[in-house]
Amino acid sequence: MGGLGGARSPPSWLVPSATLLGQSVVSGLLAGGLYGLLALGLSLSWGLLRLVNLTHFALALLGAYLTYQLGHVLHVSPWLAAAAIVPAFFVLGVGLHAVFAYFRVAEFASLLVTFGLAVILESVIQWFWTADYRRYETAYSTASLRLGPLFVPTLELLACLTAAALAFATWAWLRWSYVGKALRASAEDPAIAAAFGVNHRAQAFLLSGVSAAYAGIAGVYIALIATLAPSQIWAWLGVVFAVVIIGGLANPIGALLAGFLIGVSESLTMALVTPAWAPLVSFSILIVILVLRPGRV
Amino acid sequence: MSGHARRVAASLAVAALGLGALAGVGLPAFYESFLYLIFSWIALATSWAILSGYAGYFSFGHGAFFGAGMYTTATLAAVFGVPFLWTLLAAGAVAAALAAGVGAVIFRVKRLRGELFGLLTLAITFVLATIVLNTPIDGGPGVYLSGVPMPRLLASPTGTLYLLGLVLAVATVAAAHTIAHSRLGRGLYAIHDDEDVAEVEGVPTLRYKLVAFTVSAGIAGVAGGIHAMYVSYVTVGETFAITVPLYVVLMSVLGGARHWLGPAVGAVVIASSLYAFTGGQHAVLGRAVVALALILVILFLPEGVVPTVLRHWRSRARRSETAVAVRDPAAAVSAPSLVPADPLVCHDVWKAFGGIQALRGVSLSVAPGEILGLVGPNGSGKTTLINVISGHYAADRGRVALGSTSLTGRPAHEIAGRGMSRTYQIPRPFGHFTARENVALAATFGAARCSPGEARQEAQGWLEFTGLGSRATAFPHELNLHERKFLELARALAARPRVILLDEVLSGLNPSEITSAIGLIRAIHARGVAILFVEHLIRAVLELSDRVIVLNEGEVIASGSPQEVMRSDQVIEVYLGKPHVVA
Amino acid sequence: MLVRLLTLGTHGALAGLVLFALAGAALAAPSGPPIRIGGTLALTGPLAPTALLHKIAGEIYVEELNRGNGLLGRPVEWVLLDDQSKPDVTRSLYEKLITVDKVDLIIGPYATSGILAGMGVAQRYQKLYVHHSFGMPHLAKYEMHFPTAAFGPEPQRTMPTTVFEALAATTNPPKTIAIVTSKFPSAQYQSNGAREVAEKRGLKVVLYLEYEFGTRDWGSLAARVKDANPDVVWIGALGLDGNQMLEAMKKLDYTPPRHFHLFPAPGPLALAPDGKQALSVTVFEEHPPFTSNPGAAKLIPLFRERATKANVPYPYIETQVAGSLAAWQVLEAAVTATKSLDDKTLGQWLRKNRVDTIIGKLRFDGPNNYGDDLFKVKQVQDGKWVIVWPRESAAPGARLLPP
Repeated sequence: MGGLGGARSPPSWLVPSATLLGQSVVSGLLAGGLYGLLALGLSLSWGLLRLVNLTHFALALLGAYLTYQLGHVLHVSPWLAAAAIVPAFFVLGVGLHAVFAYFRVAEFASLLVTFGLAVILESVIQWFWTADYRRYETAYSTASLRLGPLFVPTLELLACLTAAALAFATWAWLRWSYVGKALRASAEDPAIAAAFGVNHRAQAFLLSGVSAAYAGIAGVYIALIATLAPSQIWAWLGVVFAVVIIGGLANPIGALLAGFLIGVSESLTMALVTPAWAPLVSFSILIVILVLRPGRV
Repeated sequence: MSGHARRVAASLAVAALGLGALAGVGLPAFYESFLYLIFSWIALATSWAILSGYAGYFSFGHGAFFGAGMYTTATLAAVFGVPFLWTLLAAGAVAAALAAGVGAVIFRVKRLRGELFGLLTLAITFVLATIVLNTPIDGGPGVYLSGVPMPRLLASPTGTLYLLGLVLAVATVAAAHTIAHSRLGRGLYAIHDDEDVAEVEGVPTLRYKLVAFTVSAGIAGVAGGIHAMYVSYVTVGETFAITVPLYVVLMSVLGGARHWLGPAVGAVVIASSLYAFTGGQHAVLGRAVVALALILVILFLPEGVVPTVLRHWRSRARRSETAVAVRDPAAAVSAPSLVPADPLVCHDVWKAFGGIQALRGVSLSVAPGEILGLVGPNGSGKTTLINVISGHYAADRGRVALGSTSLTGRPAHEIAGRGMSRTYQIPRPFGHFTARENVALAATFGAARCSPGEARQEAQGWLEFTGLGSRATAFPHELNLHERKFLELARALAARPRVILLDEVLSGLNPSEITSAIGLIRAIHARGVAILFVEHLIRAVLELSDRVIVLNEGEVIASGSPQEVMRSDQVIEVYLGKPHVVA
Repeated sequence: MLVRLLTLGTHGALAGLVLFALAGAALAAPSGPPIRIGGTLALTGPLAPTALLHKIAGEIYVEELNRGNGLLGRPVEWVLLDDQSKPDVTRSLYEKLITVDKVDLIIGPYATSGILAGMGVAQRYQKLYVHHSFGMPHLAKYEMHFPTAAFGPEPQRTMPTTVFEALAATTNPPKTIAIVTSKFPSAQYQSNGAREVAEKRGLKVVLYLEYEFGTRDWGSLAARVKDANPDVVWIGALGLDGNQMLEAMKKLDYTPPRHFHLFPAPGPLALAPDGKQALSVTVFEEHPPFTSNPGAAKLIPLFRERATKANVPYPYIETQVAGSLAAWQVLEAAVTATKSLDDKTLGQWLRKNRVDTIIGKLRFDGPNNYGDDLFKVKQVQDGKWVIVWPRESAAPGARLLPP
């Protein structure tokens, strides 16, 4: 049962070209940017609202399908689609939080509720779009910029830049705006924060809306970059969870950097040795960092 | 075990026997395999909860142990021809060993709790999956078990699997029940509420977590081994999918992760619902309906099905609760604590946190039966000293000893076992335990080492002693500050300590409460227990202490009788500043 | 004598099919208690995209049967359950179908793992097991299983041979090959075989990579392929891996001169802009000579209509769907010829006879009940799959277009 001859990849002493290395670093960074984008909303709601939101993934995929529908069928440009999706998803996020607030859902019960919602969304998606694969082709699907010998795919670059911009914006917002500080205070000590006049309820709705809007934005990029099928919701779960936790809950810059770390370590492994070892490397690095580095989150 | 729990356990045993008999009768194979799947999930969810539900260490790595078991059986049976039933033992052993190894590393690191633990266990699943996929264990093509002979426990293979599944499920639920009602269980529940306090109360937290993790993983491994025969073609993609780690969490949360029967109930509900809508025309709609039902259940029953149901039954039963036999509090009070007490000695203790030197060579001693007052301005290191003595922190330098027994560097639970108790300035009771259960825990794990039955009586006695006898079944959030402080005292006493460390026990109390607290401390002192008590309230210090020690910026600046110390110039200067205007 | 009767039986079945296709409406509607044929498909979960095609195929076939004379004059009912892409659920559901629902016959699910799970059950109850998407012939050891994924008993040898022969027959045959394969069992198995065959034929393997299914980032793999600069890339892909790989390579401004995909999702690859001239293997495409195979004329428009209604982007019958239809045809042929629903009888008949189906003449008398390797090489030309090799099976005027 071991297959004929077993897997013999090219000997690892065969030094790969600098171009190959450089290209994989680029590829890893860009993939990591998308992980970071997906992780952003999840990290915020987990860190600041104490809610583990599995629906986040389903919302992202819903955003992707909506982008596809608007773009492929109704020929609306993805940027216009984004303009429609972002506010709509903000409202969805607010609505979702209304449910949580009304029932006072605790952290691990939220896992179950959001799982159920994710399954419902998956069913809705499959109902409307069937289980078959959908691909949103655009004129610039395969476009890339040249940087010397390296190619930087344009769409992935845009996703990565958006991720970085949103991460920094969120960080600044949390750090310097009143709302941001209020949210952080509430997360740390709700009673005292309330005593200082922080209206946690309102802030929580705002944050939930923002989180969902981020999911929508991630969805637009997923539609442009990847192929869609309803079960894709679950494909990102493991890696995005890892990114959220390595980056630290409610740490937007951390999420971005963690995304880069995992993306690059995976792609370098794929470039240098048998690609199938990639998850081992990234998760082993993760384990080593968490166990050895002192004073981590 | 209460009569109620006994009844439940008995009825479950009957149900299990009934199910076993069913196998002998011979159901249509589908029911056997459907029930097998339910049994398998019961075993997986219940075993997961042993660590993650009871102790609160949410693991997302249950799939790794399940997979380790599956591949152990697959490899041993298909490649090496080991008889199937023996492979199950190996499967459990391999999974347990894996957990023991992982736990030995992770549990020692204090900050790897909560989400980090969840992530690490998830990461281990991916690592294991990749290793299996890329090595000859699987290598890619999967392992095919169709040629492996099935033991003929029952007439049909499906029946045999049904029986194996049933045995495993029953054994797991029985194990969960036993653990939940044992000292191990009490300790795990305490760890859930407040691990550091549990350790200080005498719960050997590292050992208990390891045991729970290992048992949990071993069961998952056996479940995996049986499942390998069920699917008969083992591939990495199927085995290490996100399904197992995710579903066991959902099932336990739905049913009630803290209760021994909760995960089983959740498993039955969720696993059956997987089949509810497999009809071809309704598949997609069916999934949505099932998901909606789950959401509604958890929204309206947030603690889980079983605890909510039990609470309803209990609230009716509470009124008719019989009084608990109490050991005569006077007897408790006058009974001598332990064999001749030894002095507590700190010698040249240093402790720094990063750049802050909290303790600089502090030396003191508390004679047997003495009350030593420890005073000093805020930030002088009083609480740090208590934390070092009780073992919460390890001293950088210096020695702490109780008589001839060195306490330096020992884990806090061992120090507690040697007769040290402490209270916290802001009370830290175990939130999910009643007042009596809080106190009983200390009686079980402290120097007294009572059996669970004795502990309950002990606890009631100490509650009476501190005036909380009527609040024995109340939960901490139902008590006011004064009551919680006295609960801390009762808990500290129940361990039958030789030395009690009181950390600002009077802060936040009103004058009449302070008077009664001082009376209580006197009563404790009358038992012959040595007391080291930190206090800001000078009146209390003067009234109670035999001797007083003053700390300032981590150093002892004065030591002696209360009157002497309070009049010392240096002490006055530290508290009030240097007088610039001579009176 | 027996042989002649049996041959007559085969021809009879063939004639019956043709008659029914031509004069369906004129025949009496089937009556009596329905013949229930049970099976599962991955209607939800990661395998759902392709299983959807099998669902449509089964539905149109059963409807067509019922428009005619049904089976043995009785209406046919397809008891279809959702196995959620999980083999353990598959196993359990087949047990339900056989022991609780007590269906008359069963038909296999989609994909290797599910088929194996069901095969164990079929074996225990000695039920006839016809299936259409099994990729590891050496694992199928049940004597009453009948595959219509006509790989032949040694696909790891025969399929790459066919492909390389097709390539060698072009004006500028490739000299170097890069093999990039998923670690999905059937893909890996056959790609491994491709490496051995390539080496034997003097085709230099400049790169051999295995990636894990579920890979999200194709950039590094694409870079390695580009670096190796092969004349042809063999992508041991399932579903959309091939598309993702091509896109990733395009972003590096690289298009491999020739690319072959093992088990692609047929629609997306044909429709993708990067799918131009992609190669794959198939047992059927919608052009002569295949359009004159039994059932093709009727089923092609039926499938087109139903698939379009279901919003399937590529509503043409190709290898997956054809295999599925062939499975139904095999069942029908056996039942009609033996006038029986007894599994053993049907099994014996199938082993001794050939069934002429939409994918050609199937026989089941080889090792593990496999017959000939019927796979041909196809290529995407102008947004559709066209068979290009061997020459006698190629679409009229079509040939393997060079890069």
